[in-house]
Amino acid sequence: MVAPLAGIRVLDIGGTVATGYCGKLFADHGADVVDVEPLQGAATRRLAPFNDRARAPDNSALHTYLSSNKRSVSVDVRTREGRAVFLELARDADVVLDATVGDALLSLSDLAAVAPRIVFSRVTWFGQTGPYAQFAGTDSVCHALIGMVRGIGPTAGPPLLPSGYQAQIVGGLTAYIGTLGHVIAAELGNRTAACQLDTSICEANLCFTDVGVVAAFNTGAVAPRMGVNRFPPTFPLGIYPCRDGWIGVTALTPGQWAAFCALLDLNELANVPAYQTTLGRLADAAILEPIFKRKVAEQSATELFHRGQGMRIPLALVPTMEELFDVDQYVARDAFGTISHPAPGDLTAPMTPFKLYKTPAFAGGAAPRFAADTRARLADVGIDQSEFDRLRRANVVAGA
Amino acid sequence: MTVKSLHGVRVIDLSMGWAGPLAARHLVDMGAEVIKVESCERFDWWRGWEATEEWIALNAAEQSASFNTVNRNKLDVTLDLTSPDGNALLKRLVAIADVVVENYSSGVLPKLGLDYAALKAVNPQIVMLSMPAFGSSGPWSRYRAYGSTVEHASGLPHLNGEPDGPPTMVHVAYGDAVGGLNGAAALLTALRHRRRTGDGQYLDLSQSEGLFPLGIHGILHRSVTGHAPVRTGNRSATCAPHGVYPASGDDQWVVIQVLTEEQWGALAGVVAGLRLFGGIDDRLARRDELDGVLSAWTRTRAPREIMMQLQDVDVPAAAVYSAADVIDDPQLAARRFWQMLPRAYVGLQPNPVAPYRVGQEPMPIDAPAPTLGQHNRQVLVELLGLTDADLARLTQAGVIGDRPVMPRGDRTSA
Repeated sequence: MVAPLAGIRVLDIGGTVATGYCGKLFADHGADVVDVEPLQGAATRRLAPFNDRARAPDNSALHTYLSSNKRSVSVDVRTREGRAVFLELARDADVVLDATVGDALLSLSDLAAVAPRIVFSRVTWFGQTGPYAQFAGTDSVCHALIGMVRGIGPTAGPPLLPSGYQAQIVGGLTAYIGTLGHVIAAELGNRTAACQLDTSICEANLCFTDVGVVAAFNTGAVAPRMGVNRFPPTFPLGIYPCRDGWIGVTALTPGQWAAFCALLDLNELANVPAYQTTLGRLADAAILEPIFKRKVAEQSATELFHRGQGMRIPLALVPTMEELFDVDQYVARDAFGTISHPAPGDLTAPMTPFKLYKTPAFAGGAAPRFAADTRARLADVGIDQSEFDRLRRANVVAGA
Repeated sequence: MTVKSLHGVRVIDLSMGWAGPLAARHLVDMGAEVIKVESCERFDWWRGWEATEEWIALNAAEQSASFNTVNRNKLDVTLDLTSPDGNALLKRLVAIADVVVENYSSGVLPKLGLDYAALKAVNPQIVMLSMPAFGSSGPWSRYRAYGSTVEHASGLPHLNGEPDGPPTMVHVAYGDAVGGLNGAAALLTALRHRRRTGDGQYLDLSQSEGLFPLGIHGILHRSVTGHAPVRTGNRSATCAPHGVYPASGDDQWVVIQVLTEEQWGALAGVVAGLRLFGGIDDRLARRDELDGVLSAWTRTRAPREIMMQLQDVDVPAAAVYSAADVIDDPQLAARRFWQMLPRAYVGLQPNPVAPYRVGQEPMPIDAPAPTLGQHNRQVLVELLGLTDADLARLTQAGVIGDRPVMPRGDRTSA
């Protein structure tokens, strides 16, 4: 079996969650992906969660996840010699992933000189141009500026920030789409020159809010924040405590509303004319929610979930992180697997979330130790043992 | 004129709602030809899921911002797939296509004789993407879901919100859009394989699994510690100040997150009173007091003013925008992110460009979202070779058309 991306060579000098996830999707499908890290290691090595079973720079579980199926090479690209080494590595690359703004570190013409059809794929918070190009970005800064934060949380208090690296993962996934599309373009003959692909993480995340922005443009109205788990126009919508866990509820259509009422023995609410539309129900949310919340609280989440789905209602179990690995659906589909790493050992992590039946992604795979592949990769481009030792002593490269 | 990246790739898009159409939007933005297939009765439910005769009479199906935002650049044909003629025409389209995208409830396409096995018989090299909420195998494979259901089932809400509050959703339909992105990624991966080997294949996308990487911080915390992380609301266990602060005006807020000591020094240089606080341990210990001093400063200033002032000294800060603020944002304006295009029934509309661009200019959007059946002639006559008499007969028989008819039963994909 040939992996779908076999033969594609990717170098990642970005070292961010976004470039790391983009590169991971390439690596999981068979591309040759090398993290080209500075001597102190990629920035993602300093991000939580950490694994107590290893020491820095190999103790970030996040970095282990992002670097599975990749190679690790350490070169200080900011030095003159390091840059020359990097351009040697880039000679047969199809893609360079980068997270800087501007051409100080590396430019398209530098790369085009050694790799005439390369995709210089740059993944940054705001893109290469515009007044915010140099802004300090975070996932929350991005979520605030796309209009997403404003809708989350209680009506009175401050809105709530989504946690973790959600915006960067979306940025990396989007960059994968654009980058792979432009690799394919060269293979199709639609593109013959090197190109710089400029992905903005904020613009990538705007896919969540663009419709609301267009609607606001048309109506001038802005939906107020309506409370935790309350997003107009849909109602009921939410996550409610059961006897033994949490159930997620969505009832959008008149049929689903009727079935939801039947499920909870609330048939008197099913046929109320005003409740046949989502907005009609939303207007009476303060009356309706306590009624069905009480009913839901008496029941088992699992039992309610399966019974409700049997009645074609889109209910969901809402598994905690402790329950997640054991959810029968995810077990049946091998949604989680093992990433091995020589230092901290095995890590349970999600597998690539799309399945190609003829050419499945590498299940889990192995993550490299920091700089494990420097010597071998440099040898591939003609840098022999004595030159490698010299570069290492000069603090241009790192590795055993 | 430059050739678009995916020029020559043809996609038959049977999908409706948000997820599938967003996947196809990425391909069409990069130059693939996307033929969207609806029917007059089974029109895309993203046009509206509470259809009435009045709604149809008002042409409301053409006025949905949701539909219009996600379907630009596509061609639109109507084919009643339950009729022998419509069914056969779809197969003729698949025979000359590279990709089929669908997100019907499981069971719909097999009943129509249009599942992967049937389409593969017509075109052995076809790449077909299905995107059921929980994947096409396993005990939940036939369960119904929306993007909200998918967010629920991913466990992600347990990672958002206050420690003493409920698990918190971040979006009305997060799973849909993330599913669309994963769908585009899967399609390109399979297209690349086909390009090298000639092999088409079936792609099985679970939208709930697609959200796991967004919760990776919580999942890996569970992996390495054996237990779930505690929700921290807007605070951070390791950084302060870190949160959403009140700005001047009604319901106006600003995000400020100090992640390094350099950023702390810069913030303390701007906001009077912060020098009374010390290193990170002191700031974490006196968080309430610290947030009080910072809030007193933010409360008298506009969100954008705070953002500009703090970003000027490299402190992560952002105005908490409303949807209306986003359209006026100077960064997006400078990058010409919103492309204004006239569209029948709604007039001039902003269209978000692709989130990646080659060089400085955004990828052009050639056409706004199609109206129902707008390209029946272009596709059926110019591409498939039907005659005008054929079109008249198909219209007469209700196989094709350009106006919705009142649907029977729930019209959403869940």
